[in-house]
Amino acid sequence: MSEDLAEIEEPKIPGNYSARRQNRWLPPSSRGDENGANDENERHVPPHVHEDVDEIHRTVSRFHVSPAQLYSTDSGKLYHAGCICIVLVGPPARGKTNLSISLCRYLRWLGVRANLFHLGDIRREKTKHVPFEFFDPKPESEEAKRVRQELTDLAVRDVLNFFQNDMGQIAIYDAVNGVSSQRRELAHVLQQHDVKVIFIESLIDDPKLLESNIADAAKSPDYINWDAEEAIADYKKRVSVVAHSYEEMDEEELTYIKFINFGEKLLVNRSKHDFLTTKIIFYLMNSKIKKGSIYFARCSNNKLNFKSDPPLDAKGQEYARKIFDTMVKHYQEQGHEGLPADLQVWTSVRLRTTQLAQVFKDVGLTVTHRPEMTQLNPGDAHGLTDEELKEKFPEDYHRHQLDPYHHRYPRADCYHDLALKLEPLIMEIERLTNDVLVIADETVIQVFYGYLMASSCSDIPFLKFPQSEVTKITYNAYMNKATRIKIEGLQE
Amino acid sequence: MPLYTVSHVDNLRVCVVMVGLPARGKSFISHKIVRYLSWLSIKTRVFNVSSYRREEYREQPSADFFNPNNEESKVIREQANIDAIKDVIKWMNEEEGCVAILDGSNVTKRKRAMVAQILRDNRVEPLFLESFCDDEAIVKSNIMDINSTSPDYAGKPPGYALEDILTKIKYYETHYEPMDLVDEKELSFIKLINVNSQIIINKIESYLESRIAYYIMNLHIKPRYIWLSRHGESQYNLEGKIGGDADLSERGMKYARRLKDLVQKYVPNHDKLEVWTSTLRRTQQTAQFLPNPKKQWKALDELDAGSCDGLTYEEIAQRFPEDFAARDENKFEYRYRGGESYRDVIQRLEPIIMELENQENVLVITHQAVLRCIYAYFMNSPQEKSPWMSIPLHTLIRLEPRAYGTNVTRIKANIPAVSTYKEKGTSKLGESQNSAHVMAGEVITSDVANQ
Repeated sequence: MSEDLAEIEEPKIPGNYSARRQNRWLPPSSRGDENGANDENERHVPPHVHEDVDEIHRTVSRFHVSPAQLYSTDSGKLYHAGCICIVLVGPPARGKTNLSISLCRYLRWLGVRANLFHLGDIRREKTKHVPFEFFDPKPESEEAKRVRQELTDLAVRDVLNFFQNDMGQIAIYDAVNGVSSQRRELAHVLQQHDVKVIFIESLIDDPKLLESNIADAAKSPDYINWDAEEAIADYKKRVSVVAHSYEEMDEEELTYIKFINFGEKLLVNRSKHDFLTTKIIFYLMNSKIKKGSIYFARCSNNKLNFKSDPPLDAKGQEYARKIFDTMVKHYQEQGHEGLPADLQVWTSVRLRTTQLAQVFKDVGLTVTHRPEMTQLNPGDAHGLTDEELKEKFPEDYHRHQLDPYHHRYPRADCYHDLALKLEPLIMEIERLTNDVLVIADETVIQVFYGYLMASSCSDIPFLKFPQSEVTKITYNAYMNKATRIKIEGLQE
Repeated sequence: MPLYTVSHVDNLRVCVVMVGLPARGKSFISHKIVRYLSWLSIKTRVFNVSSYRREEYREQPSADFFNPNNEESKVIREQANIDAIKDVIKWMNEEEGCVAILDGSNVTKRKRAMVAQILRDNRVEPLFLESFCDDEAIVKSNIMDINSTSPDYAGKPPGYALEDILTKIKYYETHYEPMDLVDEKELSFIKLINVNSQIIINKIESYLESRIAYYIMNLHIKPRYIWLSRHGESQYNLEGKIGGDADLSERGMKYARRLKDLVQKYVPNHDKLEVWTSTLRRTQQTAQFLPNPKKQWKALDELDAGSCDGLTYEEIAQRFPEDFAARDENKFEYRYRGGESYRDVIQRLEPIIMELENQENVLVITHQAVLRCIYAYFMNSPQEKSPWMSIPLHTLIRLEPRAYGTNVTRIKANIPAVSTYKEKGTSKLGESQNSAHVMAGEVITSDVANQ
């Protein structure tokens, strides 16, 4: 090496040369030695027995890798975008918490280290009872002013700590932030710490929408064990306290996005023009206040060759009927007459799924076929048992154990490829307000589920969706809920 | 299968309808959208309303043609608009077009309502895109650009275009009704105010529309250059091996030194230039003598050749004969065992393209396959062609994105290097004999000598 080269530092992040060795997704401590490949201790430890928990409120670990993450960096920051604080703005009952959670879900899925900071949580932690005056952005009493200031300081401290000590890249700060001078002050403090600030103001100018949203908001943790009517009345009082001193955003020098009627209208002021900011706006364009549930059902025969596409056999027909009956029964138990007329059914373009959906089409439901939903291509690994794989592709087998989410067997797709392919459909699901039944291969369900439940990509390949169950995920403001519905009368 | 298969691709068709006064960058934005969506494998085309005017008014009509009181020309202009829309629908029906861009002015509410109606009647979703600008400096610089690139003013003196366009703008201004959230709240529209200082987005109804809006938000229309270079010749290049993370060869190091002089001589505002490299040694070594701020992007790393990494093409042909043939057959889609395809590279380059659209002064030092993808984006090259493009070593490439296309200039450093170009059907390396694979534009051989 000549002297000119001396000043070149070894790249801190291994290039694709080392990526090819499949260790780019792993922390240094778990990087296997090139030659010690068969050390049993090094094998990937299957994760904890899977429970249906929405992991969106779990803080992400130092080495968390997300489903759609294209690459990782030592600093944990992607796209050279630096640190960003997204500050929610808006009176109560404008879906701020809901929005902050779903945005966090999307950003984490993209691979950005994002965390939520709800002022409400901090308040609940500090004190049980607060006077109404507290909710007024400009309270009159000194006591209320002091409490407000204290809580805000705590939140800002947490946000900065996340950037400085936890390798955070995006903090989402959820509070009313209804006073212009306070917003300017907040932006100033954060900018002093090299944090970019983007305000998202959620507004509603449709009274009906507001009414239904107040009813939803009155189910928040503040109103556990309350009578529903009383909770709504109390919440309305809170809304009116804020309304009288609330100042809408028009600070020309700040970057803000007005998000009106949950994405119907958007106004962007001083767009920051970096990849992440525009990606956030992109998400906002697609985001709706989600209602309803997504159901997932497996197609009947999963042992088929990837390339073959035979029609449904008699057993498959029967299976289709059973899924149909299970769905009808489930809706009836929820108090519906039968399947709702706006239930959409999504399938892949494989006959095993399209023909399975025929029974839903027959009763007049909308069935759409999505080529993106074709299962993960297993490539040359198709149909091989673990032992055979070990024999035939020893090196690949080892890599696969280390990182089953990103590793591709020869000619195969990996889960990561599938996740990127499914992004448009994930966006589309975000736009829908009716129920959807997804009929697909297990690999596709794993990826959808991983997004909706904020699973880590080390868990996704191990998620189990047996053919004997329909999995239901219900959208909820605070966290999504997954339940399993048994398909009755199936012969194992 | 396209990279971003648009959901409902079978039944979702969008027509982007441009709205705005002349010299608001409408044609520029139109062509950009085509470039971006085509790059992502979505079939897109521009329909320029003025080209549907009757023959004698097609080229260089005088400004009086746009006088709102000129009844005859009004009829001609309306007819042109309708003919263009008919063609949009025909193209969508017969050639399975997915996104059309109607590049006209559509300055009145009445006209926009009519356009929306016709499109909806034909199951095409209208998405209006208004470029609103009252900043005179921006308008003026747009006019100068139109003057030098638009076919309407070919061969005319600069003053002529300015005068003519200003008169045209005056005529249009008399009946211009900007889009608003009151009367047109039911239309899907994107409104850009003074380029991007404010953006209003109304009723985006589909993923595809949101994708278009997302892209437009990243655009700016300030004139600029984008500078590209491959890394200097590496040890692996000398040995004919692909991939790896090798150091520069002696000649490669020479190029790295000369690059500093080339940048000084040819890049205006080179003190404000930002340099992007991949995370591989050879690009960082190439950038090492440049005094400019540097960013390393993982996304700029070379196409991952998987199991073939570190092999020569001859070795690949020998060890993986089927793969070798499959790759030649469809180079865009072919994915190396355990590695990447060109399509995969485009996927990971998207953030880079978005950032490049944002930036004003960047030099990107990266690798052959990655440069092919970036070049394909700016030159709008088709997928079957772009992986075969010959991108020479030791050459500084200048791209100048303009309203009607991108100008390319190659500045040769005059330092010899091996060829890393592999023609279809052979494992031998050597520059392409096929002129279709040679980059467009002018070639300058630099006379900058090593100090």
